[in-house]
Amino acid sequence: MKTTIRSDVLSLIEKTDSKHLLKIKKGLVPNMNVEGHVYVNDNLRSLIYEEINAYKVNKSSTFLPAVVQIANVSTLPGIVKASIALPDVHAGYGFAIGNVAAFDMNDEKAVVSPGGVGFDINCGVRLLRTNLFYSDIKTKQEELAQLMFNNIPVGVGSQGVIICNQEYLDDALCSGMDWCVKEGYSWVEDKANCEDNGRSLYADSNCVSIRAKKRGITQMGTLGAGNHYAEIQIVDEIYDKKSAKLMGIEKKNQVCVMIHSGSRGLGHQIATDALIDMEKSMKKYKINVIDKQLACTPIHSKEGQNYLKAMGAACNFAWINRSSMTFLARQAFSKCFNQSPDELDMHVIYDVSHNIAKIEEHMINGKLKKLLVHRKGSTRAFPPFHPLIPLDYQYSGQPILIGGTMGTYSYVLTGTEKAMDLSIGSTCHGAGRALSRNKSRNTLNYVDVMNKLKENNISIRVASPKLIMEEAPESYKNVSDVVQTCHDVGISNKCFRLKPVAVIKG
Amino acid sequence: MEAARPPPTAGKFVVVGGGIAGVTCAEQISKILEEFDVEEQSSTMLEKRFPNIKVIESGVKQLKSEEHCIVTEDGNQHVYKKLCLCAGAKPKLICEGNPYVLGIRDTDSAQEFQKQLTKAKRIMIIGNGGIALELVYEIKGCEVIWAIKDKAIGNTFFDAGAAEFLTSKLIAEKPEAKIAQKRTRYTTEGRKKEARSKSKADNVGSALGPDWHEGLNLKGTKEFSHKIHLETMCEVKKIYLQDEFRILKKKSFTFPRDPKSVTTDTEMWPVYVELTNEKIYGCDFIVSATGVTPNVEPFLHGNSFDLGEDGGLKVDDHMHTSLPDVYAAGDICTASWQLSPVWQQMRLWTQARQMGWYAAKCMAAASLGDSIDMDFSFELFAHVTKFFNYKVVLLGKYNAQGLGSDHELMLRCTKGQEYVKVVMQNGRMMGAVLIGETDLEETFENLILNQMNLSSYGEDLLDPNIDIEDYFD
Repeated sequence: MKTTIRSDVLSLIEKTDSKHLLKIKKGLVPNMNVEGHVYVNDNLRSLIYEEINAYKVNKSSTFLPAVVQIANVSTLPGIVKASIALPDVHAGYGFAIGNVAAFDMNDEKAVVSPGGVGFDINCGVRLLRTNLFYSDIKTKQEELAQLMFNNIPVGVGSQGVIICNQEYLDDALCSGMDWCVKEGYSWVEDKANCEDNGRSLYADSNCVSIRAKKRGITQMGTLGAGNHYAEIQIVDEIYDKKSAKLMGIEKKNQVCVMIHSGSRGLGHQIATDALIDMEKSMKKYKINVIDKQLACTPIHSKEGQNYLKAMGAACNFAWINRSSMTFLARQAFSKCFNQSPDELDMHVIYDVSHNIAKIEEHMINGKLKKLLVHRKGSTRAFPPFHPLIPLDYQYSGQPILIGGTMGTYSYVLTGTEKAMDLSIGSTCHGAGRALSRNKSRNTLNYVDVMNKLKENNISIRVASPKLIMEEAPESYKNVSDVVQTCHDVGISNKCFRLKPVAVIKG
Repeated sequence: MEAARPPPTAGKFVVVGGGIAGVTCAEQISKILEEFDVEEQSSTMLEKRFPNIKVIESGVKQLKSEEHCIVTEDGNQHVYKKLCLCAGAKPKLICEGNPYVLGIRDTDSAQEFQKQLTKAKRIMIIGNGGIALELVYEIKGCEVIWAIKDKAIGNTFFDAGAAEFLTSKLIAEKPEAKIAQKRTRYTTEGRKKEARSKSKADNVGSALGPDWHEGLNLKGTKEFSHKIHLETMCEVKKIYLQDEFRILKKKSFTFPRDPKSVTTDTEMWPVYVELTNEKIYGCDFIVSATGVTPNVEPFLHGNSFDLGEDGGLKVDDHMHTSLPDVYAAGDICTASWQLSPVWQQMRLWTQARQMGWYAAKCMAAASLGDSIDMDFSFELFAHVTKFFNYKVVLLGKYNAQGLGSDHELMLRCTKGQEYVKVVMQNGRMMGAVLIGETDLEETFENLILNQMNLSSYGEDLLDPNIDIEDYFD
């Protein structure tokens, strides 16, 4: 069923020659500085048309549709090229998730916005390989999973394994993975296979609030819950043998461990603190934002710099968390198979961030510019021979780790030159929005329950019930569609696919 | 017969209690402070792992706080510089000394319960706490009459809405596959019965942890799955043994098949319970799951502890009691500091562990002259458990405890699938009850701790079309 766009907004959405690029023209919202570029597949295109049709017509939910958020971002001062959206784009706080926005560091008006990084600063994915195959772990699966559970603290309220006081934490926040190597959690070679070598040089623990540090101290080395998880996976399909080999992946059924986690409460508190700080300061910089959630200040302002330094600290914290879980995963495997992690070849293939802001150089309109690139729900995708990627991957391009929704396929991709041209060196990060919900809802489901609550005379607001997904996770093909679209556009190439065997989550 | 008294041992730190609070406390102290005399006694795993800990298996007879000394039943005296009492709580039995009334609190009593259950056709469970909730669901092949004094089941854990949501599970006849609940497993180390010294107290042994019924086959004599009848708003009026019952010519009811018809039971039972709602049921035995009282008695004589309303030892924000150098952690204490707006004390294993941990840090810091900040685990109440084969997460003021009428609720409920209840005050999230695999716990934990103003979202916050966990990620 093809959706057509409302005639009054038809001129604002341009279908381009590329069947995958949808342009949002200036004018969808007032004061757009650049266009919106949305990389879509057929499914997403229909959803975007629906969103545009409904916009300003239906009773608006507090949640702005993603297409409007993409346009709103393009109104921010100093944005260059376009407000770019990847195929997994969906609504988020301020910026949509899957939105990339770069700002010119040499423009004194250019801003930094915490909403463009997200609350879970440096939420990301790390992939470890092993030299084990499925046949090796088949009989030990349960035991292995339980060992991982015993070692890795999961769930809300869980306490970290790293005993920590504030002095310790400050050192860790400033040094990132260098601290891990010093403390013995990480191998030296782990650093090289991590973006920024696992250490943000911008980090300054003095810019992190006491409350954020308190939350961090308890949660150091914990996995969290919700969409954070660790998985024992096996290689399911190899698309690019050469590149896979560079990553140490040679055959199907090879066992890997994927860790998906971020900076936990520390990152959340830093983001919250910054949003409040910037909301208050915007006036003095004469910044008016179209949406309060896009709170921002100039990059070089005191508030902007404070945020970048605190954000750096949060990035370091997240890398430490993933490193600590790497350590614990190595211990679990080592115990289970009676071999050292080294003998099991448990190296870090790579570690990517998908909620971060980085200072990078990119060609914009033929000129080399220094940009502050906000990637929220999107991953860096640097091409072969880029100076910032490890020696091992100079021929393949940067590995990109895509964790699907927990329990579904995960993918490893490689970066391309086209990504530098089209999407400021970026690609998707995972599964997109939930599947469309055209089924009717049974509102009688909760009446009994509600009546019981009503007895207390407290006001109750009710949301409609969640739909039960009847399909099995394998058929939830969202992440595969997203990855395929990016591959078709050319901003990343499929390298290999992984299937989960055991899931460790809160 | 008393053996010759050995010289009093002058340990710097003494921890009383071998449950989760005590063990955690001892472990942490020994990790932080390492200048200890190494003792050559290794009868337990704890001692093997931490050579600077000496485990003494003997009940406490008396605490002489002024002399900084503990007297144990084996006749020894232990002088302390700092003492931590982690003696836990004991179950409130509805009736002491009746062989047909069982309390379940430690592995021994749990195993005894299992043993009795294998011969049972019908039992009664009195009480509405965590143990009762878990038991009711776990028991198979035995009729269960469950009597609670409240209007709804599980009222310490849920509100009436959640109780309603869960009740449908009790009626289901067919057995369900258990949900996987993977996390660190807690086990107690088996005690060598012969080596155990005679203790005066009947209740020796640490409280059951979250995995207490794993490995226990809670099955009665019959073949069906669940058969539960609930009696609300009643308490036990009287318990009769079989002879007494016969002499008094009383009549009891059969297991109610439908609410309308009640027939007199012709079968004879070993014990009968008369409830305050006039109903009488016979059964094979009774489980008393009516909560616990802090185990303070052994320590009170001659010491003027400040006690909380619930009978526990009052502690300040450094787990310090009202007596110098005496700390307390776990079920025995009552948190009496300025509590965080989203935390409350509940006598749970998780809190006992956190308190033991924090008490250790406080004791060590005090002895080193360091200052220490309140542990962040007392900032937000968080408890993850499983009831009726559903995952249950309780956050903050999940039942609007202490908020009076100044709050509102948001609800999303899908029968048989999930129950999401959020407590809001002034546009800020103060607590939540999450039943089922909602994946919302981390997001809500963050929203409560961030105290972000969510009023603009209204009930859209729970809109199932929005991936709220992604939105705030």
